[in-house]
Amino acid sequence: MSRPFPYTFISCPCANIPVPDPAKKRRSRESPQKSHPDQPKSLLRPDDDEDEQAFDPRSPRANFSLYPPEQLLYCEDCHQIKCPRCITEEIVCWYCPNCLFETPSSMVRSEGNRCARNCFNCPICTAPLGVNTLENVVTGGTSQQGPWVLSCGYCMWSTLDIGIKFDKPTNIRTQLSKMTEVTPARSRQMSRTFGDLKSPLSTYSSIDEQFLPPGETKPEDPPLDQPSAPLTPDARFHALKNFYKNQISATSSSPTDPLGMDFGSGFSSPGALNRIMSLYTSSSRLSSLYGGANKKPKTKPPVMREALTASEGLKIPSPDAEDTLIERMSSPDCGWDGLASIEQRAFQSPDARFVEDLLPLPVLLRTKRSKRCKSCKHILVKPELKPQSTRFRIRLIALSYIPLPTLRPLNPSPSPATTTTTTVLPAPSSSTTNPNLDALSPLRPIQLLLTLKNHMFDPVRVTLATPSVTPGRVASKVTILCPQFDIGANSDVWDEALQGTSATTTTATSTGTDPRGSRSGGLGVYEKVAEAGKVWDKGRNWTTVVLEVVPGTLPGGAKQTSSAHNTKKDKKKKKAPADDDLDDQDDNSDDDDSDSDPGFDWSGQTSDPNEQLQPDEDVLEIPVFVHMEWDSDNQIDSEQGVGRAGAGGSDTVKRELAYWMVLGVGRIVREIV
Amino acid sequence: MTSTSSTSAFDDRRPISMSFRHSQSGRPDSPHTPQHHLRSNNSSFASTSSASTSFRGEEDAIIFEFGARWLRAGFEGESTPMCVVGCGPEESRRVGDYRGWLRSNETDSSRSQPVKADEWAGAYELWKMDVRDMDMALIDDKIERMFRETYNKYLLTDAGTSRLVLVLPSIMPHPLLSSLLSTLFSRWRFPSITLLTSAPMAVVAAGLRSGLVVDIGWAETIVSGIYEYREMAVKRSTRAMKSLLQETGRFLTRLSDDSGAAQSADEISVHYELCEEIASRFLWCKPKAASHGSTATPQQQPAEAREEHSGAADQHTTSHSDATVSLPSPSGSGSTYIDLPFSKLAEPVEKVLFAEGLADCELDDEEKPLPLLVYHALLSLPPDVRGTCMSRIIFIGGGSNIPGVRQRILQDVAFLVEKYGWSPVRGKVIEQQRQKLESLRLSQPTKPTVTKQEDENETPDAAAARSTPDAQAEEEIDPIEQKIRRNNKDKDTHPPVQGVLREVESLGPWAGASLLTSLKVRGLVEIEREKYLQHGLAGASRDLEHGHAPDRRSGLRTGGDRSSWTLAGWG
Repeated sequence: MSRPFPYTFISCPCANIPVPDPAKKRRSRESPQKSHPDQPKSLLRPDDDEDEQAFDPRSPRANFSLYPPEQLLYCEDCHQIKCPRCITEEIVCWYCPNCLFETPSSMVRSEGNRCARNCFNCPICTAPLGVNTLENVVTGGTSQQGPWVLSCGYCMWSTLDIGIKFDKPTNIRTQLSKMTEVTPARSRQMSRTFGDLKSPLSTYSSIDEQFLPPGETKPEDPPLDQPSAPLTPDARFHALKNFYKNQISATSSSPTDPLGMDFGSGFSSPGALNRIMSLYTSSSRLSSLYGGANKKPKTKPPVMREALTASEGLKIPSPDAEDTLIERMSSPDCGWDGLASIEQRAFQSPDARFVEDLLPLPVLLRTKRSKRCKSCKHILVKPELKPQSTRFRIRLIALSYIPLPTLRPLNPSPSPATTTTTTVLPAPSSSTTNPNLDALSPLRPIQLLLTLKNHMFDPVRVTLATPSVTPGRVASKVTILCPQFDIGANSDVWDEALQGTSATTTTATSTGTDPRGSRSGGLGVYEKVAEAGKVWDKGRNWTTVVLEVVPGTLPGGAKQTSSAHNTKKDKKKKKAPADDDLDDQDDNSDDDDSDSDPGFDWSGQTSDPNEQLQPDEDVLEIPVFVHMEWDSDNQIDSEQGVGRAGAGGSDTVKRELAYWMVLGVGRIVREIV
Repeated sequence: MTSTSSTSAFDDRRPISMSFRHSQSGRPDSPHTPQHHLRSNNSSFASTSSASTSFRGEEDAIIFEFGARWLRAGFEGESTPMCVVGCGPEESRRVGDYRGWLRSNETDSSRSQPVKADEWAGAYELWKMDVRDMDMALIDDKIERMFRETYNKYLLTDAGTSRLVLVLPSIMPHPLLSSLLSTLFSRWRFPSITLLTSAPMAVVAAGLRSGLVVDIGWAETIVSGIYEYREMAVKRSTRAMKSLLQETGRFLTRLSDDSGAAQSADEISVHYELCEEIASRFLWCKPKAASHGSTATPQQQPAEAREEHSGAADQHTTSHSDATVSLPSPSGSGSTYIDLPFSKLAEPVEKVLFAEGLADCELDDEEKPLPLLVYHALLSLPPDVRGTCMSRIIFIGGGSNIPGVRQRILQDVAFLVEKYGWSPVRGKVIEQQRQKLESLRLSQPTKPTVTKQEDENETPDAAAARSTPDAQAEEEIDPIEQKIRRNNKDKDTHPPVQGVLREVESLGPWAGASLLTSLKVRGLVEIEREKYLQHGLAGASRDLEHGHAPDRRSGLRTGGDRSSWTLAGWG
């Protein structure tokens, strides 16, 4: 599904820790009978696998905790896997992904988090736009280049479609914003429209310039410009903001304040200076502070009024505005493609409804972020400062601490695999055809090789556990033939070369040597048959075990082909999961399996009239619980290990780590071949 | 005037004024230095004299508006949010699942099973107001991911460093609210979270103090009468965008397979995205048709002007009713188009939002059509407030973008007002009595016609101009009014527009919150991190008289000491 089969995902253990609701403490204290049975437990020991239920890769929450192994980080101090949810991030630098220029942090906000240069995306198809000239006339020695446009190389859209040309090929962003901002608000003062383009910080200054002393009543803008040009939402916003500021300062500075006329005006904050200045002057300070509560009728403050004119931000839509919209929508030259889609409108002005209203979008900036562990604040990732550099100063990715799981199908033994190989990863020792993982036939067992590769410099003892039947309605049976094994240390490659191919010698440092691990890797691949309790193959720092999977039948599997009696047969074929063993080669050949189906966990649901398959329900995913133990050297993480090891002073510390991972095997098809 | 100085002026203002408040409450007369209070009281955002720290403390707040479907996020003082993020199935995929990008070759295969209308739309919503069967942990997950991605992709600032302002609907289930706050506080280090209600924010963003906010939202349409920034009356109806989309989906399903007539009516087999796309592009709403008026109840003396107008509207309608538009075929792969009469696309709107073809008596209380809902909301307001609110009707929410809906609602409300007046009493006898009275006063110019006419052909300044004689007429009647007017003559010369149906456009709740926050107006509900983490929602004081009413006039934060906090309306 999400990736080509087979794939692996790792579930970050943080998902089991519920968001601490502070109210729960109090609530449970108040009403002890209303307990939360599982939450405190998982709070205490999230790794506790005894009475915790098996991880369900199909639960809606699982999508939020499963990550591809390469995306996870590892905190060396907490000794825990860290997913994007359990880290905090700090921005190191901002840059434009298109031109790779860094934007200084002070400019990011004022540029609206977008590139201030010539980088634009097509409003139609989001492809990057190029700056092209319209005419390229070479006169004499100098090439006379005409007006410039932004054009999309993918969908052939250009700013000519919306009637915009540029005078210069540089600074397109400023040119564009001048054009788009000035035209609708031309009737307004020019100074304001420039202020609008800048940050709120700079609008303070521009607003202050036109701030009127509160004593004088604000001269209403002549209403004659009202119908001529409606304000853009942005201009309206600033008009409103201006208006409120005026009102606040007008209403909060009392007329008795001697300094109000002179000083209150210069500040955008309502009468801030008045209060400061009148602090030590007279008793009028109370009246200025408590103007509202003052008993003197003379100083009863004026109430803030509402916006009355369009210049103050009031907008009364004309009743036929919508009619013209409808008219335009229904006109034949608009059509489906003339109207902007939701996606196209996402970052445009809220009024943009037609394709003609769309403006080229400056490229959104991106950030480089350093990441810290949320609980211990240690840095996990620290990239280089420069946007062009892809290097990292610190990067603690989880794969250097947890074994990398890879899955591949084992060649089926004699049973004829009629399906063709398509996109399956070729097994290195493929002699026959591989099973098609995109079309697994139900009830036909397949064997998979799960390889765990250790990247640590310590040998690791791994215990795998899996529910014998995968959760969900499509119950597939899973058996790990060798659930407990060792993986060798990630020692120097030359060691292995010098000591021969046998991997066991490198595990000399491990305390408990596994007798089963003594099989040598090289030979006998072809003749080898998977045996229970034995490791399939083993190398210097990797171990391969065999998984045997019997894909379950889909609910309503034969619905499309024929009737319900067929599905009943399918259900019959499915044995109770408990009494299954490795040798179920034969029981998918004969249909008259007399087993009734008491053991189904999904039998109740299949009798549902609604037997449809949920999306992705046919994907065979196996949750596997991984528990790993190793003795780590204190030298590796000395400063932490000393604290941990305590007075004993032993040079090794026993560590363990446990997590769920999900193996995506393949997609089960409906019919049985 | 540089920006830094103005910000520091902001800074200085708050602590000092606060300390005054304390001194005032304690000993009104004794002068003392405010420094002590300043230091002890608000450490979290106290500013020292150093410019850098004051700048840091005044880092722009970040405003999030939560809806059932979309999350809008951006910085204070900006007119539009930085981004609008959804939380559909595409957004809740696993990390590293790139199926959304491979959509093109998948569409034909996955369009197969019809889905129940509820699940069909339910996958796209962040939460329902019915929390009984909701997985709160899942919502936590979704919120966390939405926030994280919003910060990383769009806001491009470090999460948790600045104040957070959340714009929420005025009624939130406590589990949801608690889940939201707990997630935010425990995941990031937000110093404080301010909650603002969406309806008053829309009023603020319209530049008004009062108004009737019609929020045609996802799960329900909420009509709230706001007077002086306070919610006076709230009416709800389930006729909103969710059911509209479901209806559109059914409509498209019927179009796509003619054979599947046997299919149960509630199932939808069209892609949700396609349906929403069609809905957002092409759904529209007819103006109130004359035929509608005649079918509903024959009205006695329709003003000629109205007739004319609706006639004209009819011509409009006919002019584009024969137009056809071609839509991407809902049944299958991308390249085929079907032609559809344009008027067909108004049908789902009529049916869902206006309950076309359903008698009033068949409607349940929670599924009133929108005009009736607006009428009831106005009716439940006191007359003064009603007069103010009815001429400040603000449409927000996704449904208000459907062309024609606003006018249609206003027309219908005008019709209702004209038919029933402002009386909740219905019935034949009443009607007869009313008719008698009407015939009695037919001789003199009737008030309702004036109202209606104004509503019909009003332009922005025409409305203002017309209201002036109205107000003057009142002035003669009411001596007190006259006196007030005289006293305030220098202040504002415009009498407020009231008594006419009028629409005012708002920039939306998000912009309102942005406006308010940038003006340094503090919300009444400001939850500080430490206090929340101690007790959660249960720590909120239930005392509705908590502190003082916020002093809107001066924009100061009041409320005495902040040792306790309140959830105000949410509590």
